This record gives sequence, structure tokens and C-alpha cells, in this order.
Amino acid sequence: MTIFFKWLRIICKYLFLIATAPIWVPFWAVWWLLGKIGFVQFATDWAMGNGFYLVYKNLTRRPLRFFLTLFAIFVAFLIYGALTAFDVAFNAGVELAADDRLITVNKINFTQPLPISYVRKVEAVDGIAGVVHMNWFGGYYQDPKTQIQTFAVDQTKLLDVYGDDIILDPVQNTAWQQNKQGLVAGRAVAAAHGWKVGDRIPLNSNIFSQKDGSTSWDFDIVGIYTGSSAQIDTNGIYIRYDYFNETNSFGGDYIGWMGIRTKSPSLNEQVIKDIDDMFVNSPFETETVPEKAFTKGFLAQLGNISLMITSVVFAAFFIILVVVGFSMVLAVKERTSEIGVMKTLGFRSGRLFRMILGESFMLVFAGGTLGLWAATAFLGFLNNVPQFPVPDIILTPTIIMQSVGIMALLALITGIIPATYALRLNIITALSRR
Amino acid sequence: MTDNILFDLRSISKRFVKGKELITVFDQLDMSIKEGDFVAIMGPSGSGKTTLLNMLGGVDQPTDGEVWFDDSRIDKLSESQLAKWRANNIGFIFQFYNLMPMLNAARNVELPLLLTNLSKKQRKQSVATALELVGLSDRANHMTSEMSGGQQQRVAIARAIVSDPKLLLCDEPTGDLDRTSADEILDMLQLLNRKFGKTIIMVTHDPAAAKFAKRTLHLDKGEFIEKELAA
Amino acid sequence: MTSSFSQIWTVILMNIRSLPQRFWMSFAAVLAVSVVVAVLLSFLAMSNGFKKTLEGAGSEEVAIVTRSGSKSELNSVLSRDIVNIITTAPGIAKNTAGQPIYSPELYVVVDGIKRTTNTEANLPMRGISPAGFDLRDRVDIVAGRMFEPGKNEIIAGQAVQREFSGFELGKTVRFGKTEWTVVGIFSTGGSAFESELWAEARTLQSQFRRGTSFQTVRIRLAEPGNIDGLLNMEQNDPRLALDIQTEAAFFKEQGEAIGGIVFLGWGLSIIMGLGALAGALNTMYTSVSSREQEIATLRAIGFSNISAFFGTLSESLVLSLIGGVVGTLIAYVFMDGLSSSTMGAGFTQVVFTFKLSPELFKQAILLALAIGLVGGVFPAWRAARLPVVLAFRGGV
Repeated sequence: MTIFFKWLRIICKYLFLIATAPIWVPFWAVWWLLGKIGFVQFATDWAMGNGFYLVYKNLTRRPLRFFLTLFAIFVAFLIYGALTAFDVAFNAGVELAADDRLITVNKINFTQPLPISYVRKVEAVDGIAGVVHMNWFGGYYQDPKTQIQTFAVDQTKLLDVYGDDIILDPVQNTAWQQNKQGLVAGRAVAAAHGWKVGDRIPLNSNIFSQKDGSTSWDFDIVGIYTGSSAQIDTNGIYIRYDYFNETNSFGGDYIGWMGIRTKSPSLNEQVIKDIDDMFVNSPFETETVPEKAFTKGFLAQLGNISLMITSVVFAAFFIILVVVGFSMVLAVKERTSEIGVMKTLGFRSGRLFRMILGESFMLVFAGGTLGLWAATAFLGFLNNVPQFPVPDIILTPTIIMQSVGIMALLALITGIIPATYALRLNIITALSRR
Repeated sequence: MTDNILFDLRSISKRFVKGKELITVFDQLDMSIKEGDFVAIMGPSGSGKTTLLNMLGGVDQPTDGEVWFDDSRIDKLSESQLAKWRANNIGFIFQFYNLMPMLNAARNVELPLLLTNLSKKQRKQSVATALELVGLSDRANHMTSEMSGGQQQRVAIARAIVSDPKLLLCDEPTGDLDRTSADEILDMLQLLNRKFGKTIIMVTHDPAAAKFAKRTLHLDKGEFIEKELAA
Repeated sequence: MTSSFSQIWTVILMNIRSLPQRFWMSFAAVLAVSVVVAVLLSFLAMSNGFKKTLEGAGSEEVAIVTRSGSKSELNSVLSRDIVNIITTAPGIAKNTAGQPIYSPELYVVVDGIKRTTNTEANLPMRGISPAGFDLRDRVDIVAGRMFEPGKNEIIAGQAVQREFSGFELGKTVRFGKTEWTVVGIFSTGGSAFESELWAEARTLQSQFRRGTSFQTVRIRLAEPGNIDGLLNMEQNDPRLALDIQTEAAFFKEQGEAIGGIVFLGWGLSIIMGLGALAGALNTMYTSVSSREQEIATLRAIGFSNISAFFGTLSESLVLSLIGGVVGTLIAYVFMDGLSSSTMGAGFTQVVFTFKLSPELFKQAILLALAIGLVGGVFPAWRAARLPVVLAFRGGV
């Protein structure tokens, strides 16, 4: 029975090594080379001189324990990095909403229509720099489940209002002005479906149908737009309202909402009042809000995602705090007599205090860095999966700085108790313990 | 043995409270050690020999009295000053070696040198010299946990002498060794004393070990009974 | 020595009794496991509650007809003519007068103020025909009365009442230019319909300028689950481009969106579980190494190494079981019954409650035990293999 387990263990060990070879072989090769040229010796001597070597050796005393605690920290920061990046991307829409942009919708609900005649009236309001009317097309490509954000817009005005975020080659824009069946697609959605400029594609609507009864419209892809920053969503498509309106079987001359750009954010309040006052008591009352507020309200309907994310992250950190903290306390207690010996050799208590804190810092930062690195790799993978119609999720510099701060805090909390223990340890007590 | 007095304990008393009793370990004890001396301290358990050694190492302070080392008092020094003093003047050798299990022999010996300002090169040199002295040069890179008891104690001796202290304090250095290894260690201590002039104070309960010293002090109930042995 | 089974049992009991001595490390392991379990249960409860809300809304005995490709009630448009045609299909249940039982309905979205965030959120308003009430299991007016035809009156679902402000009995609400009065509150046993406002279909048509068109038709089936008659008619008549499903299937599809959350929840919990596992392993290894002498002494006395194995394993299982129970309690206290709402398909809020069930508890406890098992097996094996000579050494 024991022999069976013994062989099982050996087999597992070698299988594991072979399976993970692509990861460790390069490191081992580099280390071996460095050893050959004497770099390893040089490095360890240098590390000995400044105490790092001792800290490292103490930390890795029991390889298994080191690995387990490292892993727990790795997991926590992997979760933190990925979820926080997601949270930031999720709220990016709110952050990126320009201050000088407003949205005017039907007061009942944004799913209710507005008459197109309103557009001219709004354009005449003081302080307006541009107005573009937009309709939700409800588009899908081939499979009703593959929904695509499609907007039927006034093609002459789109860039007036959103030109800061949507970057479109002027040549392509001109082609769009000239081709009624022209379609401008975002980089991400074009990449996901392999679309190129010049392609002719069919697009279906799950709300509207053509006068002949079919729900499919044909479009020429005349342009592909990019976002002015990595966090701008490029999963949307813009088609021309005039083409949509004249072929649509119902809802003629109605629009969904208006995107508005003011001459300056300070004029927002007045513009909002002017627009809504204009249509009060009409059959279609309007509600104008800053784009930021609108996006925020929209996201808030998904529920308190941020709260959920924060709770999960907090829980993850709590676990590792508990696990690593207790582990360190115990690890240091095991070394009680050694600490006593170091003191007899002449090492000062303060130095030992710093060395133990150094251990917790080394551990947390090693695990944390690995975790963040893994999070980046994971997100990078996610960003390239076409099914996700969201803007790129990335680890922003802010997140990284916050992570470093958290690592420092964590290291401090887990290290302070054992470090203080070593600081206060009386030599006689330490040496009398066996 | 020179005439220079290295250690002078003047009228030291050590008392502490255990539970409800007041325990007196020493009452106004005097002791002086000359530089170059090799003293064995023997006595039954509870006689206070470990406490005495601790006081000599600055690890413990007397309740009354003065401890003088080489013209300066050490019993009133702060913890950090004592640490510095220890690093400069004392080498410890313990019964259970007390080496760092995760370091190899050379690194263990190097430890006290981290407290000095020596360069990397100088440290390496000192370590090599110390290891050669104890005859373990060829095992410099071996892990101490893989060595025999005698070898480990030799590494401990190398560590104790590497920063060239004046005084070596040994707490039952041969307590955990077999006869042959014990003799090797004691020979080495004698060599350090006779050839290199190191002052050695050794606490032991083994009379055979005490024979290696120049003189033996017997401690019983906190008082000395001296017996001169062959030099 | 006594029989091997009683040996094992003795050691197990001894180890478990000694747990309080290693209090802090045991506590750490319990805490780690309980957090993982609590997180997992929260996600499961959320998805379970959401699913139950949607499932409750879908019946096998009712078919729902929408325009082809619309995927939600909001997007669909059905003209009066189409409704008249499809409701002549075979397979539809008939009432006492021999008429087919169906309810053409409208589904619009209005704004309501969500209580928790105090911001506007989408609220579904359904224009329901009289037959519609029979087509839902259990509709009860729990306060006030039913709306009267021809008047701008609405009844609000209980969940709307809970999650949104301003829809109390007797209150007037304004959508656009029209004012509506809340004359009643209805309950449907907790299903998704409780998140809706209901008004008379014709009134809605006129106030929202829909002419005579509807958006969906709900039809009672003669035979539960059998929509063949309807499907055949749709395929053979070129005027009809419709999606026909049982209501149950329809809502199931909508609920599949939430499947993503379950996946995420399990994914997160497993990753966190690995972290907790590392903690558990650490605890157990430390516990074994700090009691090497004890264990070796037992073996010197004559206890078999199998008993050492099971003794250590049982410690780990007990700790993680406690952690699992604690985590479950935490989830129950904080989560069960917690009401929340999120956007469902069609952009409207679906109100649901977090629901814990015995099935979920089982999954959570299993996860805890899995952690305990893996976390205990390897240290237990090490304990079983400790050389007995350790009992004799003085401790070095």
C-alpha cells in the first residue's frame, strides 16, 4: 500500500514537472548560465551584505509553506486586478462622457419616440454647437442572438457632436455622405466579424421591418472608426437615418433621441432648460440630461455592480490576510531560539525587526506582482475574445498604484506582529526554549 | 595568561522572584578573569553557572554589583549598546550549536561579519581563514543540517572566532557530542587559547572536559570553590 | 492492540479534541473556508432568485407569440390582423362559449424612480386584455381593486411597489401627458410579472398612440406544451413571420442571460477556494509538524499509521465543515430575502429576491468538504509516514 503511494507520488511529481516544463525550464536555464559565469555567487554575496539574502532564506525555509502563502496572495491580487479593471471599464462610460454633451429623450422613457421636426427647433437654441438625431435600430447580424448596437443617425451631424471620441478617416466619411446604404462600423465589431471597407453585408432588425416585410437591410461598409482612447467603445455601427426612414414600414419621421453638443459646459444648464421648456405640454415632452448622468443612470439599472465587486475583492483580501498573517506569526515563533542566537551574535533588535518586516514585504510583493501579471494576461486574453461587446478592459496605472499601496499595507499588517515579537524577545527566554 | 584583567565581577548579586519565593542565585560574588585564561566552570544544576555565563555575555544583568570588562562597565549599558559590545568582543558557542539550518557553512560563519564594515572580499577572506582553522574548508558550501554533530560544532566555533573577539563563552560545548568529537572540539579550544591567546570561559558538567582548561571554578549554591589544574 | 477501526476512531477523537489547543491556526482555516462558501452562496442565491422569478412567469400551458427575431416583448410588433389570423390556428384551448382563449398585449417602458439609487430606471407597463388574467397562474389583487375599462387606471405589481417609489395605492403618476391612478396592487406569487404595471390594453393603445396594433399574443394551449398547430400555421402562411414558443421556453431563454452570473460566481469561488485551500493546507501541515513528537509517540506506542492518517484527515474535514456551516449562516443572514433588481432582456428591471435553498446549501457544503479533503490528504499522509524515531529524539 505504502509502496503504491510512494510510486504514485514520484510519478505525480515528474508528471507535474514535465507538464509545467515550458514555464520553469527557461528560468532554470538562465539560472544555470548565470551560475556558470559566477553571477549567482556575486549576487548572493551582495545580497548577504545588505541582509536580503537572510530575509530570502528565512522566507523560503519551508518551500511548501512559502509556496502556499505565495499562492494565496497571488490569487487575491489576480482577483483584485481583474475585477477592479472590470469595474473601471464598466464605469468608464461615465468618466469618459464629455462635459459638453447632452442627451434629449422622450420624457416618458427613452424607448418612446420623438418627432423629427424637433431637431430643427433644438438646433436654433442658444449655446448649441451641434445636434445629431439617432434611432435605435435593434440590429443583429445573421443570428438574432448576435445583437449589434446599431444607430440610424443623421450622417452629416454625427461627427459634429461625437467627433472627439469617434475617429473616422475623412475620406471614409465623405464616402458615407455619398452612399445612402453606407455603414460605418467600429473597429472592435468589425474585427469580430471580419468586416472590411468595401464589404456588403446584410443587417437585420429585431424591431423594424422593411415595407416589403423583410427584416433584412443591405449595407456597404464605407468606413471603420476607432476610439480616441482605448476605453472608448468601438462595438457600435452607424447607418444613415434617411435610408432607414424611407424603407422602414412604420414609425415614419420619428426619431429615438438627440445627441447634443453645447458650446461650453457652463451653458449646459441653460440649454437644458431652454430645450425642455420648448416642448412642455406638447404631445412629446422631452427630458434633457447631461450625457454623464444619462450613462450613470443607465448603468445603475444593472444593479450595484461596483458594490458586488468591492465585496468580493474585500472577501478575497480578508482570506489572505488571515491565512498569511497567521502563517507568518507561527513561522517566526518557530525561530525563537534562532532569534535569540542572532541577538547574542550582536544583531540589534531593530535590525531583526526590519528583517522580519522585510520577509512579509518580500512575500506580499512577490505574490502580488505575480497576481497582477496574471490578471493582465487574463484580461489580454479576454479582450481578444470576440463575443464580448465591451471596450477593452485594462489595468490602468491608477489600479497598479492602488495595488502597490494595498500590498504595502498588507505586508505591514501581516509582518508587524511577528516583527514586534522578535523585537521584544528576551535572549534568555529565547535560548531556553527548545 | 597575561596579567591584564579582562573581566571583573565585583560583588554581584542576582535575585529574582518566582511565584511567591525570592530566589537568590548569587550574593555578593566576586570573580576576575585574566586575559588569555581558559576557565572551566562546573557545578550541579541550579548552581547558577548558566546565569553567570549569561552575565558575562551581557545577556543578563546582576541585581546588585558591577560587571567590568576591560576598564568599562557593561552592566548598565542599553540593549543596543550591549549588542554592539557583544559583536565586537564576544564569541558564543552553544551546546546545541544553534546554527541557521537554511544556510550553508560559509554563510553561517559569515553572519557576525554582517555587523561590521568589511567589504565582500574581506568577509570572504575572514570566513575562509576561520573555516581553515577548524579544518572545514572543503565543506564550506555544505548545508550544516547535513553535517555530523562534531562538524556542526566546529562551524559554530568558526562563527564564534570569525570577527576575532577577545573572549569565547562556551555553554556545554561538548554536551551533545560523542567522546571522539568532544575531544576534537576541546583540542581546538585549547589551540585557540594557547596559540591565539583567546580568553575562554567554558561552562561544563563533564570533568573530562574541564581537564582541558587551565583552571576550574566550582560553583555551588552561588559560591566559588577553586581548584587549580595542570596548566 | 485493539481492532484497527477502534484505533482509528480513538485517534480521530484525540485529534479533534486537541483542535482548541491550536486555536488560532484552526480559526484561520475555518475563516478562510467560510468566506469562500459565503461568496459562492451569494452568487448562487442571486442567480437562483433571478431564475425562479423568471421561471415563475413562464407557463407550459401558455404560448407566447412575438414577431420573428424580436427576442423580447418590447421589440415585437403585431398588427390586429396578424393577431386575428394566428388565433384561428388549431391547438388553442376554447372557453365555454367555444371561443379561443387568448390575450393580445402591449409592452411599453416607462420611467420610475428606484428607491435604492433614487435615480430613474426602466419600468415595464403592460397593456393586458381581460383574458390575460386567466393566462397567468395566481393573480391576486391584494389591495385596492381591478382597473376599469376606458379609464386611465393601473394596477401595480407588489415588486414595483417595493423597489420603486411613488406607486402606492391611490397615487397618481404621470407618463408624458397622461395621468394614471394606481387603483390596486397585485401579486402573482413572486414571479416576474410582479415587476410590472398593468393597464387595460385598449387604454394603453390610445394613450401611447399604437392604433390597433399589439406587441404579443398569449394563447392558452389545448394541450400543455403542444404548439405544433400554431407552428404549422405560421410556416404555411406567408403573411406570418412569427416566433412561437411556450411561455416557459420564452422566459427560460431570457433567464439564460443570467447563466453568465452563475458561471462567474463559480469561477470566482473556485479561484478563491484555491486560495483558501492554500490556507487550509498550510494550517494542516503546520499542525502536523508542530505535533511531530506526539504523532510519533502514538506510533511508538503501537497505533497504526492508518490511524494517524485518518486522525489528521478528520481534523481537516471537521475544520472545513465548520467553515462551511459558518459561511452558510453568514450568507443566510445577509443574503436570504435580500431584494434586488437588475436589467433583464428588453431593458426593463426585473425584481428578484436572493433565494437560498437546501440544494444550494448542499453545493456549498460540498465545496467546503472538497477543500477540507484536499487540504487534509497530503498532510495526513505525511503524518502517517513520520519516522517513529522522532518520538525518541530530545527535540532537535
